[in-house]
Amino acid sequence: MIMEGRRTFGFLLTLVVTFAIAPLMAIAFYTFMKDGQLDVSQINRMFANERMWHTLGNSVLLGVLVIVGTTIVAFPMALIRTKTSLYKYDWLDIILTIPFMTPPYIGSMGWILFMQNNGFLQQLFPSAAWVTESFFSLFGMVMIMSLHLFPFLYLMLKNTLLRINGSFLDAALIFGRSSWRNWTKIVLPLVVSSYVLGSLLIFIKTLAEFGTPATFGSRIGFQVFTTEIHSYLSRWPVDISMATSLSLFLLSVCLVIWYFQNLIGRKYTYSVLSGKTPAIREIKDQWYVKLGSWLFVGIVILLSIGIPYFSIIVTSLQKVRGDGLQAGNFSFASYQEVFTSGSAGLSAFLNSVVFSVITAVVTAIIGLLIALYIKKGETKKQQILDFFSLMPNIIPGIVFVVGLIMFWNAPWLPATIYNTKAMVVVTYCVLFLPYSVQYIKSSLSQLDSSIFQSTAIFGRSSWAVYRHIIIPLLMQGILAGMMMTFIISMRELVAGLLILPPSVETGATFIYSQFEQGNVGVGMAVAVITVAMTVIFMFLLDWLQKRGGHADA
Amino acid sequence: MKQRGLKLFATAGILLTLALAGCGNKEVEKNDKVSAKPKEEQTLTVYSAGPDGLAANIQQAFEEKTGIKVEMFQGTTGKILSRLEAEKNNPVADVVVLASVASMDGLKETDQLQSYKDAEGAKKINSDWSNAEGYYYGYSASALGIAYNTKNTQQAPAEWADLAKAEWQNKINIPDPSLSGSAVDFLFGYTEAEKTAWTTMEKWKENGLQVNGANKEALDAVITGDKNATISGVDYMAYKAKADGEPVEIIYPKNGTVVSPRAVGILKDAKNVESAKAYVDFLLSDEGQKLVANAYLLPGNKDIPVKDRAALDEIPQLNVNWKGAEAKQLEVLTKFNDIFR
Repeated sequence: MIMEGRRTFGFLLTLVVTFAIAPLMAIAFYTFMKDGQLDVSQINRMFANERMWHTLGNSVLLGVLVIVGTTIVAFPMALIRTKTSLYKYDWLDIILTIPFMTPPYIGSMGWILFMQNNGFLQQLFPSAAWVTESFFSLFGMVMIMSLHLFPFLYLMLKNTLLRINGSFLDAALIFGRSSWRNWTKIVLPLVVSSYVLGSLLIFIKTLAEFGTPATFGSRIGFQVFTTEIHSYLSRWPVDISMATSLSLFLLSVCLVIWYFQNLIGRKYTYSVLSGKTPAIREIKDQWYVKLGSWLFVGIVILLSIGIPYFSIIVTSLQKVRGDGLQAGNFSFASYQEVFTSGSAGLSAFLNSVVFSVITAVVTAIIGLLIALYIKKGETKKQQILDFFSLMPNIIPGIVFVVGLIMFWNAPWLPATIYNTKAMVVVTYCVLFLPYSVQYIKSSLSQLDSSIFQSTAIFGRSSWAVYRHIIIPLLMQGILAGMMMTFIISMRELVAGLLILPPSVETGATFIYSQFEQGNVGVGMAVAVITVAMTVIFMFLLDWLQKRGGHADA
Repeated sequence: MKQRGLKLFATAGILLTLALAGCGNKEVEKNDKVSAKPKEEQTLTVYSAGPDGLAANIQQAFEEKTGIKVEMFQGTTGKILSRLEAEKNNPVADVVVLASVASMDGLKETDQLQSYKDAEGAKKINSDWSNAEGYYYGYSASALGIAYNTKNTQQAPAEWADLAKAEWQNKINIPDPSLSGSAVDFLFGYTEAEKTAWTTMEKWKENGLQVNGANKEALDAVITGDKNATISGVDYMAYKAKADGEPVEIIYPKNGTVVSPRAVGILKDAKNVESAKAYVDFLLSDEGQKLVANAYLLPGNKDIPVKDRAALDEIPQLNVNWKGAEAKQLEVLTKFNDIFR
């Protein structure tokens, strides 16, 4: 078959190693080597740094609290969507992924504008002033991040519950002794394992998050690892070696967590797709269950979408920000400014689109090759490649960005892409390759082996097989992966902040810099345009997935 | 079997070429640039901590006048300094514009700038803000004051110590000095010239002083009414917001404040020295200085009239000795961070 053999392996491995592993090596090299000698003084300096322990504590605390926060939202939501009459409203799932798709820094800016003194909340309800103070605390930050990350846990829990609803419970009902035993012996273990997996991923994602800590965290003086690394690199006085050692440390923490996650995953994963799809039973709720469910869903949507989007849209429409919510204080001036040809906002937005499209195409091609090689990951080589290509998913983006900067600035390189647009594309490709690999792998796994066998029998050249059979069959997964990559690339902030060449801005850095030095209204207008585009793409993505089968992320 | 393997490999090769073409097309572009070097002498890379609009206006006017294309990186002073540091192996910038003369002096001390002594119009530029050997020129300046929200403030503050009073409790902020060059200048100048400065700052802290990001972020909190006053507010931003109709006003404390010059210099590693010189000339020319005044900044050339703002001689200034400021600034910054972070 295609995509086998040593040379393909060598080629793909070289590709992944050059672009994804070399940067990590560069970090280690920069941290441990000084003038060609092994030198651990840098690491010692880091461990002696009290701030390091302090920020580590902050990061871990935040991670734990966000797990709690997402659980509070995601668990009831998953129950509501599987056990009550709300199970049939599939459109809720799209709505509920909007918070996850919203760039976190935009979401938290929305919250800040809403909750601050004299913010929109106080303008609407002056008596709510007391909320402000308690909101600008760790509590508020956990809440914002939980509302951003819960869809992730929710979808995992929901899928597990759905599966249990089917054949497993039927079997349990037939062979089981008591419903109590059914719960503890069947439902609980199944839910717990996917909950543990999900919450560890939430933990890693919280550690890796930059946008919310950079906007909301800096406001309440809560430093975490990612903002600390960023500040060593972008604030005066610069301390690059400190940034690399912190990156290395964060990298290790994430790898350890990932290892445990894998351990748990392997121990408790049962083959749950065992054929029978759950029979759809009509669920009739008591009125209070129904009311409670809708109330809960409503509150979650209000908090996770309503409030941040209200602030963002209102701010983008305000004429005089100091005048607040007043009739006559609204205009489309910011949008006009964005859509004036040659405006900084528009060109930044278009840059983002171009970078994201190129990234989506490149990662789709590389992802396809890798996925075809990995297949089910049965051989050691396949597993190695699988691990390397998915690694960017478990390592915080900022670590990769630091590594890429170190690597592409190495004095011995004959040529460098640093300070060119290619650097941006390479960085995005490295960061987002896992998405396309995962999407394509999962749609590959749905192809029955009989397809491969029949093509082998009737096959003309293997090129024709690929062109006419395999790739068309995978197309849905490829497109879904591309769409996802595009959406994620459009909102990438930290890479842009650190590696964009002169005269180039992306939508994300433009929005961010409007808060630092420029016009917030225009920044928010660009944010609204970006998000609107994302939501349209999400509906496209959903439509694409509904057309046939499911490609789980 | 062998033939098939070859074919497959070829397929992979084609796909890879496509992939790299996608990834690398920009790289090709760059290589073109390198090979066409003599012709490309006419581009210039500027790292500017300028106010957004001003930097863009200057860029446009300069490009129109000279035909030299400008690649601009805009950021805060902190960002630019760190970028220069990160790019040491691989320098890109020709001209650097910083919002702090002390940082500029630091660049000179570490031998990163080159002198351009006979810049046109150099004589008209305020010599207090420039280096005597022509390593950098203070082409403009902002004065740092107290920007306050006119809706929420009954009585405007008159001096720095006023903000330690109870009526300002939890209502004051300051731009983060590790991001804002002018805020470092303020901290340095204020603590250098006023013996009581650190005590006053401790009192601000007790009064709930918040460190609030870069300059505009701090001012925005005042504009929206989240805070009532910004300490070390950059005056041109306040004047600009005021002109846009925002409820904001700026005062200069009567016991004196810091005027923070913004300086331009040519980097030692500059590849396009001639273009860089032309850029400096342009900033110092009357045309450039008028653009500066239009952005509500203080022009380096005193003869250029200012627009809707206090002129330099109307601003009470603290007596600051800028000699060796950069090293001392680091101390001040560390001390500030220890107190507030």
